[in-house]
Amino acid sequence: MATAVRQRNSDIYSDLFSRHFSDRLKLLLVYAILIVATVQTIYPLFWMVFGSLKTDADLFNNVWGPPRMMIWQNYVDAWRIADLGARIGNSIIITVLSLTVLLIVSSIAAYALARLQFPGRQAIFLIILATMMIPPEVTVIPLFIVVRTLGILNSRFGLVFVYAGTSMAFSIFLLRGFFMSIPPELEDAALVDGANRLQVFWHIVLPLARPGLATVAIFQGMFFWNEFFLAFIFIRQAELQTIPLGLVNFFYRYSADWTLYFAALSMVTIPVIVLYVAMQRWFIEGLTAGAVKS
Amino acid sequence: MMMTPAIILLIIFVIIPIIYGFYLSFHRWDGFNSPVFIGTRNYVRLIERDDVFLKAVTNTIIFAVSVVLFKNVLGLFLALLVNQKIKGVIFFRTALFLPVTLSFVVIGLLWSWIYNPTFGLLNAGLELLGLDNLIRAWLSDQATALGAIITVDIWKWTGFHMVLFLAGLQSIPKDLYEVAIIDGASAWARLTRITLPLLAPVTFISVLLSLNGAFVRNFELVFVMTDGGPNHTTEVVLTHLVTQAFRFGKLGYASAMGFALFVVVAVIAFTYIRIGRSGAYNF
Repeated sequence: MATAVRQRNSDIYSDLFSRHFSDRLKLLLVYAILIVATVQTIYPLFWMVFGSLKTDADLFNNVWGPPRMMIWQNYVDAWRIADLGARIGNSIIITVLSLTVLLIVSSIAAYALARLQFPGRQAIFLIILATMMIPPEVTVIPLFIVVRTLGILNSRFGLVFVYAGTSMAFSIFLLRGFFMSIPPELEDAALVDGANRLQVFWHIVLPLARPGLATVAIFQGMFFWNEFFLAFIFIRQAELQTIPLGLVNFFYRYSADWTLYFAALSMVTIPVIVLYVAMQRWFIEGLTAGAVKS
Repeated sequence: MMMTPAIILLIIFVIIPIIYGFYLSFHRWDGFNSPVFIGTRNYVRLIERDDVFLKAVTNTIIFAVSVVLFKNVLGLFLALLVNQKIKGVIFFRTALFLPVTLSFVVIGLLWSWIYNPTFGLLNAGLELLGLDNLIRAWLSDQATALGAIITVDIWKWTGFHMVLFLAGLQSIPKDLYEVAIIDGASAWARLTRITLPLLAPVTFISVLLSLNGAFVRNFELVFVMTDGGPNHTTEVVLTHLVTQAFRFGKLGYASAMGFALFVVVAVIAFTYIRIGRSGAYNF
């Protein structure tokens, strides 16, 4: 009897599957809404890929449909003209190094803010929060002067620290919430057994915090990969530039070659999407803990 | 001790630039000669003699209110839909998030084509529905340009808020609903008495993030799509700021604008945090 009740109510939405006509109608409506919503988010991506495979004439006469003939040569040309080989290398190096610095430094700081009692803890957190509210466009010129003074203008290394430094606040904000959601009992036991805080952090907390780290990695990784404004200001040497700078240069110099432009956009967008799809389970999990319990 | 590396990076790359920017806001500076101290004149001019700034503030507020409202309401609505156990739900979750992964270069290009007056999707769709009188050049028409950009920002970010709300929904214990169903609570009562109150902490974060983004992270999109035009109808504070700084070399004045914006955002955000803290949310 009890099992039967639980069975019937185990899923609050199971009533959608019952035989009543009105319930089927409801399910139909849910699917209709989801399909419309999904089409308007993913059709533009198909449209981009379609455009990348068309001839110029096909693009202008058949703007919204699939290509009549696949022109793979567009990819070869776009790769060569936008010099994507070197730029992809730069983007990968800068994204990976920025994430490494950001994750190590911000996770340790976020852990300290979440767990340790020290004077000024609340004040530091509020200052970090406040820095997120200053638009980057305001600080970019003073930041330029700082970077020039440090002698790291026009260097990938310099951009890595600019990225890590300017993303620190958001990352600490998210990870702090995540660490607060982890029950402290495990750590207390290890501390009693004589481990120090860093050991506890490294061996106990970090493995538990993987979804939180994945969330920051995906979110900031996308940001670094796509970032244009700061990269444009801090890197002027062509051979050090990242993909977005290459795309914009390409766009200004060959603005008539839309199909090549789409091919270049597809080549830089598709890897990000693949990476997101591969990691999305962790991402949702990470946001759950990070956002719910901060 | 554990905070040291983070604090050093924050001081060098965030705090010093902010303080230096604040210092510049009291100066006249073209970026080449040395800054000239002019007291609060930049701030006075901002309020008394810059009509474009006032227009930009109005537009920024319209932008902020609309995107905060729609991103969160639509995000919650979609989260409720994809929190059900129905076939293909993982696909929908993933697909609805995709716009978040796109760069502004891609998005700007894409939507400029959708809004294009001669071969754009939007006008083609309206024609198909027989709504020919609605057809227009969406981004160059003063009546629709701001709304068109707001739509794109909502399009890009709704998936992100959906995932936040979905995360919150999944943390609500299922037995609460079982009990409510046994007690005969209607679906509406379950939503308003269980779901929404328990979602309060997530709603708090979600609104805070969208609020912040709406004020201080809207430059790239507006820049790519209209650069503030036509006739300043889509001018937001940040595009006006960048124009003043980089086109006219008024770096001190642009800094003052940035800090005026910061004060507005900080007052709104911290008031909101204070209210939130006294409510469901604990720092």
